[in-house]
Amino acid sequence: MAKTKPVDDLTFPQNTGILRVLFGIGALGLIASFIGFFVDSKQFHFSYLTSFSYLASFSLASLFFVMLHHITRSSWGVTLRRIPETFSYQLFIVAIMFIPILFGMEYLYKWTNPEILATDYLAQHKEPYLNQPFFIIRQFIYFSVWSFLGYRLYKNSVKMDENADWGIETLQRKISAPGILLFSLTVAFASFDWLMSLDFHWFSTMFGVYYFAMSFQAFFAMLILLGLFLRGRGLLLNTITRVHIGDAGKLMFGFTVFYAYIAFSQFFLIYYANIPEETLWYYHRLEGNWSVISYSLIIVRFAAPFLLLLSKAAKSNFTLLGISSVIIVVIHFFEMHWIVMPTLHYHGFNMHWLDITTLLGLGGILLGFFFFQFQKHSMVPKNDPKFLESLNKH
Amino acid sequence: MSKAEQQPRKVYGMLAEYSNPAKLIRAAKLVNRAGYQKYDAYSPFPIHGMDEAMGLKESKLGYIVLFHAILGFLGALALQIWTSSIAYPINISGKPFMNIPAFIPVTFELTVLLSAFGAVFGMFFMNNMPRHNNPLFSSQRFEKVTDDGFFICIEASDDFFDEDKTKKLLEDAGAIHIEHIFTLEDR
Repeated sequence: MAKTKPVDDLTFPQNTGILRVLFGIGALGLIASFIGFFVDSKQFHFSYLTSFSYLASFSLASLFFVMLHHITRSSWGVTLRRIPETFSYQLFIVAIMFIPILFGMEYLYKWTNPEILATDYLAQHKEPYLNQPFFIIRQFIYFSVWSFLGYRLYKNSVKMDENADWGIETLQRKISAPGILLFSLTVAFASFDWLMSLDFHWFSTMFGVYYFAMSFQAFFAMLILLGLFLRGRGLLLNTITRVHIGDAGKLMFGFTVFYAYIAFSQFFLIYYANIPEETLWYYHRLEGNWSVISYSLIIVRFAAPFLLLLSKAAKSNFTLLGISSVIIVVIHFFEMHWIVMPTLHYHGFNMHWLDITTLLGLGGILLGFFFFQFQKHSMVPKNDPKFLESLNKH
Repeated sequence: MSKAEQQPRKVYGMLAEYSNPAKLIRAAKLVNRAGYQKYDAYSPFPIHGMDEAMGLKESKLGYIVLFHAILGFLGALALQIWTSSIAYPINISGKPFMNIPAFIPVTFELTVLLSAFGAVFGMFFMNNMPRHNNPLFSSQRFEKVTDDGFFICIEASDDFFDEDKTKKLLEDAGAIHIEHIFTLEDR
């Protein structure tokens, strides 16, 4: 821990080293993945979709967090808000990253296959929704909504840094209120399109909120890790205090329970109704060594953070928070893998090297852009009317 | 009043009044530092920093809630396992008798229910509630506590309680009024 300075620097030190490392990892990962595309293009697309859904979930949950903050006029997390703002600003990069999936639809989604469409009754039945042109149009709508919201909210916030115009706060609220409505609809349908339609026979009306619950839990883990990272570098020691990180910890704990509630409810309804076309999805995931992942999701993603963070003191204990956050961020990837991969490897869990290269490739680029953008402006919304209230929180 | 003069009344505690929250905090700090255990501060509204000033430890309520949560969790599981797979097994759409996923909702609800009971009744228990009366209510001055009075009461049952020393301590802390509170039984 660096020595506490009486005054915090509000900008991230201009450091090209971290950018070079992250972009380097990203570029290497992408090159390796590109080679993998020619080696095993089916595997490439599934790995890419896994990594994409994993990384997009952080930016999407960040956008939700920022809008929620504006709507409720919260003051507690104003000092933390620039981190999710920067992540939601990146959504246009996430949109660009979706393009390979559009080109790989015939590898990923069986409903695009004309032979299956000719013989499968359910594919014909769902064709008005699940057809390629409409799929592409929908993706266009989702990403334009998200990119617009993320871009506007970030730019307005940065503008407020410069001119301290309090009217912008009202404007942010006006954007966020309809934004959060659009967000909930688009994220639900996006999760149906990206992940649920991999197995087009299967459906779950809870899948949208399931994807959101996973993402929001993992988002708090990421927020805590970045907060601890900044503090570890001796930045914002008096601005992002134990109280702010502790509050994020409380929310992470809360959304751990929310995630478990939603994930179990989805499983439970299908298990209890026992209708073959619904149960098949879980049947694949409880067969072979996929069941190891299924059971470890209960233990690692719910029970471990729940028990670790149950006591009041633990929620502001940096070591315990850090451990739980790392666990959640890692298991979030495995859960995404567990959702996507059984379509391809239905016989058992199988970690392919392309899973890692696509994750490193996309992750390196996104985190690189995050720090690139984070260095450009103040690390906190310093002229926000509620900033002082947030600083004095105890 | 004449009756009181005839037989000495048992002192319940010494009540000191302070003029504002800052003085109350300072007094609480001094009383705490002097080693008193059985005392309490009374104010019309919660005062930030009072817990630290009085040297209060983290409430034990959490452990009571945890105990009840575990009781509810295990109790609900035991109840369902016993009734539906040991005592009276019923075949429900071919599912196993020991159908753990189906037991989870009831287990969850009972865990939450007993935790809530533990929290509410544990809180009552730890606050010595419910009680019909409190010796402090006999003081006319103490009625101000719901309006603008800030009080500290040191109970006579405290090991350090001493008529003169306690009075001096409370006065040194800046009390504007000090009176004795008598126990109810002897009245």
